[in-house]
Amino acid sequence: MKNFKLPDLGEGLPEAEIVEWHIKVGDAVEADQVLVSVETAKAIVEVPSPQAGTIAKLYGESGDIIHTGEPLLAFEGEGDDTGTVVGELKSSGKGDGQGAQKDQFIVGAAASSKRARANRATPGVRALAERLGVSLATIKGSGPGGLITTDDVHKQASHQKQLGDAEPLRGTRRTMAKNMALSHAQVVPVSIFEDVDIGDWNKGTDTTMRLVQAIGKACDAVPELNCWFDGDNLSRQLLSEVHVGIAVDTPDGLFVPVLRDITHRNLKDLRKGLENLREAVATRKIPPKEMQGATITLSNFGTMTGQYANPIVSPPQVAIVGAGRIREKVVPYDGAATIRRILPLSLTFDHRAATGGEASRFLGALVDALQKAG
Amino acid sequence: MNTAKRSNEARDVTLVEAVNMALHRAMADDENVVVLGEDIATNGGVFRATVGLKEAFGFKRVMDTPLAENLIAGTAIGMATQGLRPVAEFQFMGFIYAGMEQIVSHAARMRNRTRGRLHCPLVFRAPFGGGIHAPEHHSESTEALFAHIPGLRVAIPSSPQRAYGLLLAAIRNPDPVIFLEPKRIYRAVTQSVEDNGEALPLDTCFTLREGDDVTLITWGACVMETLQAADKLAEQGVSCEVIDVATVSPLDRETLLCSVAKTGRAVIIHEACRNGGVGAEVAASIAEAAFLDLQAPVVRVTGYDTVMPYYRNEQYYLPQGEDIVTAVEQVIAL
Amino acid sequence: MKEVHEFHVDSTRYLDDHGKPLSELPRQAGNTDRVLAAYRNMVLTRTFDSKAIALQRTGKCGTYPSVLGHEVVGTAIGQGMAKSDVFVPYYRDQAAHILRGVSLKELLLYWGGDERGSAWQNCPEDLPISVPIATQCCHAVGVASAMKIRDQQRAVVCCIGDGGTSKGDFLESINLAGAWHLPVVFVVINNQWAISTPRSLQSGAETIAQKAISAGLPGHIVDGNDYFATIEALDAALGRAHGGKGATVIEAVTYRLGDHTTADDATRYRTAEDLKRAWEKDGIKRLQNWLHDSGHWSPDKEKALQADCKQAVEQAVEEYLATEAEPPTAMLDYLFETLPAALQPQREQIASKYRGGAA
Repeated sequence: MKNFKLPDLGEGLPEAEIVEWHIKVGDAVEADQVLVSVETAKAIVEVPSPQAGTIAKLYGESGDIIHTGEPLLAFEGEGDDTGTVVGELKSSGKGDGQGAQKDQFIVGAAASSKRARANRATPGVRALAERLGVSLATIKGSGPGGLITTDDVHKQASHQKQLGDAEPLRGTRRTMAKNMALSHAQVVPVSIFEDVDIGDWNKGTDTTMRLVQAIGKACDAVPELNCWFDGDNLSRQLLSEVHVGIAVDTPDGLFVPVLRDITHRNLKDLRKGLENLREAVATRKIPPKEMQGATITLSNFGTMTGQYANPIVSPPQVAIVGAGRIREKVVPYDGAATIRRILPLSLTFDHRAATGGEASRFLGALVDALQKAG
Repeated sequence: MNTAKRSNEARDVTLVEAVNMALHRAMADDENVVVLGEDIATNGGVFRATVGLKEAFGFKRVMDTPLAENLIAGTAIGMATQGLRPVAEFQFMGFIYAGMEQIVSHAARMRNRTRGRLHCPLVFRAPFGGGIHAPEHHSESTEALFAHIPGLRVAIPSSPQRAYGLLLAAIRNPDPVIFLEPKRIYRAVTQSVEDNGEALPLDTCFTLREGDDVTLITWGACVMETLQAADKLAEQGVSCEVIDVATVSPLDRETLLCSVAKTGRAVIIHEACRNGGVGAEVAASIAEAAFLDLQAPVVRVTGYDTVMPYYRNEQYYLPQGEDIVTAVEQVIAL
Repeated sequence: MKEVHEFHVDSTRYLDDHGKPLSELPRQAGNTDRVLAAYRNMVLTRTFDSKAIALQRTGKCGTYPSVLGHEVVGTAIGQGMAKSDVFVPYYRDQAAHILRGVSLKELLLYWGGDERGSAWQNCPEDLPISVPIATQCCHAVGVASAMKIRDQQRAVVCCIGDGGTSKGDFLESINLAGAWHLPVVFVVINNQWAISTPRSLQSGAETIAQKAISAGLPGHIVDGNDYFATIEALDAALGRAHGGKGATVIEAVTYRLGDHTTADDATRYRTAEDLKRAWEKDGIKRLQNWLHDSGHWSPDKEKALQADCKQAVEQAVEEYLATEAEPPTAMLDYLFETLPAALQPQREQIASKYRGGAA
């Protein structure tokens, strides 16, 4: 509220008596509009409004004496409280579109900085390493505090020479090496393996499709494995949508396009999506955007060789499902040794983010979904 | 006469309002927290930092003192030895000097000299820094004086969120904290801060922005200019890591060294004058422990070694964004 | 013109220099046990004091301020205070400290340069010995404020010398005590000397007690060598404080019979005659004479007391001398509740530099 104080009504008169208000609380007034009639020792005077505004409060009634300089009434709005006793403080003003967001900061050092502190060498040594084509990351420093020395660099260089020139990694191979190291440095992986009896599947069932659907069901049952985990700040976001990254091996390397929102799409739509993905990969026409945002990954290496594996969890995801090569096995079935088609299933999860129980139940839901006939 | 339970609502607050929010919170949570100083009760403090406290907690816990800074400091010390947690306000840092003897000779060493028998869980708060067109003596930035005193912590917030979290930490800390509030940015920024009673850690720097090319180290109101300079430099393709030191003593050297290990270049920005400023301690620490990571000398952008000019010429004293940009350009060129 | 206020300062004394009553004695004189306990404490204090000086002279103790002449007022303070009250001393309050429960060994540790000498076991809330002049007065009103905020029936006694009353801290503190109606008793021990500055140069006011008037407090003068006058004033002032009636300033007029400290030589600035006259007014002698005259004391009892005191002091000295110094790392261990990470490297440095002395 902004007070309007009784002005000097002439010749230094010290006070006036309120005769009649011409406005009331809540009224919108204009500048110069008559607010009140007051009586001084000399005469009855009308007091005009100094500004346009809405009346918030009246400081007296008819018959009350108000002294010069005392508040007569108050207008709604920013007070005349300067909020300081010297100088002026610049104000952002609320609601001017600036600020009022949450403060973003990291407590302590950024993760990238902490990692940098690990790989240390003098400028001279760095230059030497570059000249000799040696990567500092391949060297464990023998100097004080893990410092990389000239000797270390020379040793690595001659080592590399004996083995021939190292071929610097490029493109997807390079990215893979970096990502795997990153994952290894942060993730705490635990794997659980199971065999799925797919003997009741219809002929010609698309394995990848079944796996994707099963993942959807498992995420419904145990949402804790469909989340993004922030290891630096120890926080996680449980996600309502399931975006499955589908690892695809090509001569050009590993691609992981994302099949989006699988639990809210119908079967036909999903099939189409999967087809589009496969084609895009085959023709190398995948926009980078299509490879971002996965909430969980499927590695169907069963198209090649291998039964069980503990594939790499890709932060910020917390789980990856591995499907091995389908084979016939002799297993107990209805009390007799029988040949059944078995799909070996692996689940690797980040134990920082999920418990063994959650992972196990997730795997159980996967198995249930996959074993169903159809 | 404690106020009703405080909810964890988020409010849009300025830095000084965040200070107020933290004080309300601390006083509601712990009846030993008391507040004293000049004009802080009925008037709510000249910057309104203590507004509403007297109404909420009563005159016994929110005390208007006579005009005597030395007395304010010493009285707070006495209260603290009895287990109260006083938060004493010095109206401006320029008037804290009268209390130096009490702060240095007693607050800072009560625990040490009684071998832990008595200690001082108190906070001395003061608005500090210039740039508000104030009369002389109202623009002091002498945090280095306190950083030099063993047994004292010196904390300086630079955002509403950090003001809230760090002040709570300071009040809860069992030892004395000098809490300097940069008044130039008291109202400059509004943030959404949750009144959840969660403190931020003291003795820790905050990384405000990640970058690869240069580390900008600063605190207080200069954080504003530094972030603006970082934006400008980003347009030029220079990626700056910005670190808010926050607690200038004890210094979180580890965070600073990690950053310099990554970027190889450091520029320190502070409003206080150059000679013997806290920037000198930061620079020396980096030189000692990260010399081998450096690609360029550590550079300081600071106020001049003079008294802050009166308001007409004030702007010539304060480090400007362009000074920071120039300093960065120079170290990048090396 | 009309007079709007009139102030007066009264001065009390009950015994002449030889211990003979000048008028009817206050009720405290009837409490024989208490009077005897007072006498014993004074003698113990004086015995301890001589020994401490001797230790300093033989290099076994640091600079030490003799309490010679303050035994009466210190004892009255110690007796007048309740256990739950808080004592805020300056640096010449040995007699009071002893009654508050500070051990002789602790006193020796402090002046012998060991911080553990302030880690008092028996009076954990008393403030430590204050070397910076008058700063303790602000702490005293802080402590009293805490008591008032918590509605406790406790009080604070704050000691200060005549020199200290010239400093702002004293004036600011009595002012606050008056403005906030605090339960604190300021005892100004006017021993006539602030190192070499005589009382006459310290202030133009006729009495120090009248400074209380500026703060709106009652100010009383007592003969600081007269046990009955002093204990009566302390009892009354503490009664006021405990009863919520506010603060008092007591000026106890006495004389610093020793040097300022063992590093000072008072013969440089005061005459032998002055000192001789002061000894004639000694408070211990006065009380001893009164006790004899009242039939409560005898030469045998005196002899036994002296032996007891000697024994107690000797025991304390033995324990003190046998106490090993703290390890060097102790210098960082009490700075904060937990040593900050920033200081760990320094502690390690100290530990390895003084290996064998590391904790």
